[in-house]
Amino acid sequence: MRSQIIALLTILGVLNYAACIDYDGWVNIKIEHSLNCGRDKYCSRGNISLKSIRAGSTSLIEQIPFTRQHIAELQNIAEVNGFYTIRTIVTTADNSEGTEFFSSVKADAFIEKGLADIINVWVLPNGAVIAVSFQVTNTTQPLNKDAKSHQVYSNFFLRYVELAPIPDTASYVQKLEREREAREKGDVKDNRSFLAKYWMYIVPIAIFVMISGATNPEPAGAAGGR
Amino acid sequence: MGLLSIHIKPNFLGLLKCLNKLNWFIVFFSLINLSVCIYEDQIGKFDWRQTYVGRIKFSQFDTVSTAKKIIVATEENVLAALNLKTGQVVWRHVFESASTGNIQLLHVTEKVVTVTGSNPYLVRGWDSSTGVLLWEWSLTLQNEEQADFSEFWVQNNMLVHMLPVFGSHVEVSMYNLLTGQNRGATSKLPATWTNDGCVLSAPYYTCISGGVGSQQLLSLDVTSNAVQLLSRPISEYVNVNTYDGGLRPLDSNNVIPAFTLDDRKIVLIKNNQFEILKTEVVDPSASVALVDTANGQVVVQAWIDENEGFTVRAHAAGSGAEVPELRMSELGLRAGAVELAAATCSRPRDLLVCRLLVTGDDDSLHLMQQGGRILWSREEALANVVAVEFVELPVSDLDAAIESEFDQKEAAKMYSSIWAAFTRRLQTQFQQLQTLIQGLQKADGEPDEAPPALVRDYFGLHKIIVLVTDVGKIFGMDNLSGALLWQYYEPSLDTENVLVFTRRTARYPPHTAYVTIVGKHEESGNGLIISINPITGELIGEKLMHLDVQLLQCALLHRPDNDKLYALILLDKDENVQILPGSAAPLVENMYMYVAEKNTARVQGYALMYDGKALSAVRTWLVHLGGGSPARIVVSARKPAAERVHSPGRVLPDRSVLYKYVNPNLVLFVTEGPDPLHKDVVVATCVDAVSGAVIASQVHRRARALPLAVHTEHYLAYLYYNDKHRRTEIATLELYEGASRWLAAGAAFSSHAGRRAPGVERQAYILAATPAAAATTVTEKSLTDKHVILALASGALVEIPWGYLEARRGGLAEDGSVVAAQPAPPELMLGADASLNYNRSLARPARIHAAPAGLESTSLVLATGLDLFYTRVAPSKTFDLLKDDFDYYLITIVLAALILATYSTKYFASRKILKMAWK
Repeated sequence: MRSQIIALLTILGVLNYAACIDYDGWVNIKIEHSLNCGRDKYCSRGNISLKSIRAGSTSLIEQIPFTRQHIAELQNIAEVNGFYTIRTIVTTADNSEGTEFFSSVKADAFIEKGLADIINVWVLPNGAVIAVSFQVTNTTQPLNKDAKSHQVYSNFFLRYVELAPIPDTASYVQKLEREREAREKGDVKDNRSFLAKYWMYIVPIAIFVMISGATNPEPAGAAGGR
Repeated sequence: MGLLSIHIKPNFLGLLKCLNKLNWFIVFFSLINLSVCIYEDQIGKFDWRQTYVGRIKFSQFDTVSTAKKIIVATEENVLAALNLKTGQVVWRHVFESASTGNIQLLHVTEKVVTVTGSNPYLVRGWDSSTGVLLWEWSLTLQNEEQADFSEFWVQNNMLVHMLPVFGSHVEVSMYNLLTGQNRGATSKLPATWTNDGCVLSAPYYTCISGGVGSQQLLSLDVTSNAVQLLSRPISEYVNVNTYDGGLRPLDSNNVIPAFTLDDRKIVLIKNNQFEILKTEVVDPSASVALVDTANGQVVVQAWIDENEGFTVRAHAAGSGAEVPELRMSELGLRAGAVELAAATCSRPRDLLVCRLLVTGDDDSLHLMQQGGRILWSREEALANVVAVEFVELPVSDLDAAIESEFDQKEAAKMYSSIWAAFTRRLQTQFQQLQTLIQGLQKADGEPDEAPPALVRDYFGLHKIIVLVTDVGKIFGMDNLSGALLWQYYEPSLDTENVLVFTRRTARYPPHTAYVTIVGKHEESGNGLIISINPITGELIGEKLMHLDVQLLQCALLHRPDNDKLYALILLDKDENVQILPGSAAPLVENMYMYVAEKNTARVQGYALMYDGKALSAVRTWLVHLGGGSPARIVVSARKPAAERVHSPGRVLPDRSVLYKYVNPNLVLFVTEGPDPLHKDVVVATCVDAVSGAVIASQVHRRARALPLAVHTEHYLAYLYYNDKHRRTEIATLELYEGASRWLAAGAAFSSHAGRRAPGVERQAYILAATPAAAATTVTEKSLTDKHVILALASGALVEIPWGYLEARRGGLAEDGSVVAAQPAPPELMLGADASLNYNRSLARPARIHAAPAGLESTSLVLATGLDLFYTRVAPSKTFDLLKDDFDYYLITIVLAALILATYSTKYFASRKILKMAWK
């Protein structure tokens, strides 16, 4: 029995970032874990298929529900404060063999949060996936221990590696232009008369001359008188 | 003063007030350090530079010019002249570090002639006293493939170039040394007997050829007009059965063509005849040189004897009799194997005086004189420093005693009664008094010559720098003087990716400081661990430890054990974990490691678990940073271990706080890979090394990564070369949590709980220079601003405030409103005053290391490369230190005069009031 969960999908700034994707193509992410696998090291937990990296909006997450056996094994890991490790194999149109990624969450946190996790997939502009990482969500919905099977609630985020900014030469040149223009305008504006501009220098000099002029004649007059 | 002025006439009061203000201005201004750069008289006060040349390749005594020198050409492509008396560099030319700068020939007569490069070759003549270039011409060979086997020498003012084509012929061309004019065409001498084991002993080219048992010793003067081949069966000289093909030219010889055979016999070529010497090679590892003296040639041999140390024996070439004057041995010189680089002998007043220039396996260079006296030594290993660690000095015994007295635990143990404590206090005070008196006595007498003791100073500026060099020699250096305190040579240490850890500082007196160097074994590639006391240079703890596996990663445990020692955790190729010391295993908790494969850009993370018995590593995450395409990691930058972040946020102009995203587990990886559309792309990815989550990532198109990145607090910067615009750029990233805090203040950060993505501010700037190394300043408590220090290929060490690189900019308009980020100048201005090393250019800077000083304002910086340069920087100015030329006398005199004036005016004022009252 397999239930389908159409995940809530959030694309961060689709319009802004999707533009830097050079190619479009499909991505298939196979999710495997090591719970209740019998003799194999890893067995399937689910699958994410994405029709278009650029659009990213129609992704389908199919995941098996966890049985009591799964929960028991998870709890065993949680007892030793261990990690629940998830292996993902990403296949794209260019890469049919698939690239292997690993990610882990703390088993106790995963149980505590009611088997809810966030899947972050980072994509380069050339469409290649560089990382698939799992994190537990911060929702608080405790696990109903009596239920026969438990759904895994996964939120899937497709994150694009952004194009780095380049040194902003254009706007700086514009700024310089504006400043230059402002200065030129300023020069035109300042057409006050000579006196209006420099009165603050002239007045003290004038006062000084007047004072010295007023005091000088005295000794001269005294000399003449003698 | 206010009280005083009430009683005085108004105009006097005004004057006093004025004086009062002025006085405080004087005090105020003398307290603030207004200087930005250093003054001329401060040159060399806080900094020093040491110049090196590298391992000696060729050397020759310059006996012609008046100032006696040694001209050396080195493996680092440096041509230099060393002062014969002191060993200091007189002049130095640093050539290109690529093969175009390789020195092929050094010939010293009145002029110095060098041949550098590898097809085309450059022939240059230098003035030996000044190092000025006199002439230059280039030489290009047609035959590209064989060019590597070219041999050059100078003969009769002609440059001879010989190119052997093994098994066929030898091409010889002669050029005018000054002009490069070719005298006639290249002559081809048939020589089917040549092979790659041949040696040149100018002008003879000597080979051993023929089947086993019937080998012939063949020699040919390649410059003579008549081809005359000397040929002798080898059985005439050595036992054919034990002979294994050893044919070596002599290490230093400019007298007569000669070579050693089978590391045993010395054969000369005299009058076109082989002549075997009576003297045999004493030790198979001995270095043999032929020296011309006034009465005939002398064969000098030097080797390291197990019992006697460095040993030299000399024999007359003609008679085979030993020359007793040149017999020497020196126990102190231990340098692995030695080689006689150059030797010269003179005979003033009927006394044979020889000088030997000896290079060791450890790249050291020694000039020795008669009787084994070492005139000077140079540690050329320091031209290739690969790892640096600043280590604190221990406190003095007295301080240690005081500290232990007031240590709560210790006190409780030792002083059960109040009397014990009292006597202890008296004792300590008596000791203090003693040191005070000693200090006074010393100050009275002549200044003591002994270097200051290795104890911590008040400001914590004095440290020891542990330097690990490429050749495997480890040095302890005093940071204030640059003097070498100790050295340790480990020939089997391969220092590629070597790591140095300070596992215990000198802060815990009964325990010594503890530094561990983790490298590889030269042959097996297995881990090699050296534990050293950085103060004395003695091996301690694990001492020299050879592991039997190759290591993937190693780290220090985050908490110390009972002995205050941080355990070393080693992850080996088979993903097994070892911990040193083993007793620290139970301390392992929440420990994670990451391993990045450089060539595949695959990064994996491990969680270390302790199950009560043993440690194990569990792989928890794996990412492919290249995204499957063939990318490689150029540089990874993590935060300095145990980094302090003083302020959790940044105040914005509108008085709100933007909180920093300070994740101690964040690692920046810069990868470079090909792209079908954009040639090369550089991807910078911030990965949380514990959870494996990618925090931020950005891509540069048409760019090539440079191995330079810095990462502290919440900001990162890395350099790359923009292929499109053909310039170097620096990209900066700042990570912010936002306007509210994610965690409560003081709460520990957990990577496993990190479900939110931080905001990323990005910016890029043009750098109009070629960077060679990058680092940030580090201070004790991170209160001080952080500056980025860049070493430029031009030899400057430039300090850039982070404010210039900031990714997030903005400010307040004049009316108080917040304005958005101003368009900043896109180019970083590197002013000449930002250069830390003023006019002392550094040749080939390679690394910068910064360490905190005890003073919060100060960071200690060491730049390594061909030169070593040490200085201290104060990014926020020396706010906790009086400036260097603070005038203590002036301030004392001014204060004293003021107090005097106050009381005298008070006295006069009271007298005046009294008089007025009587009137």
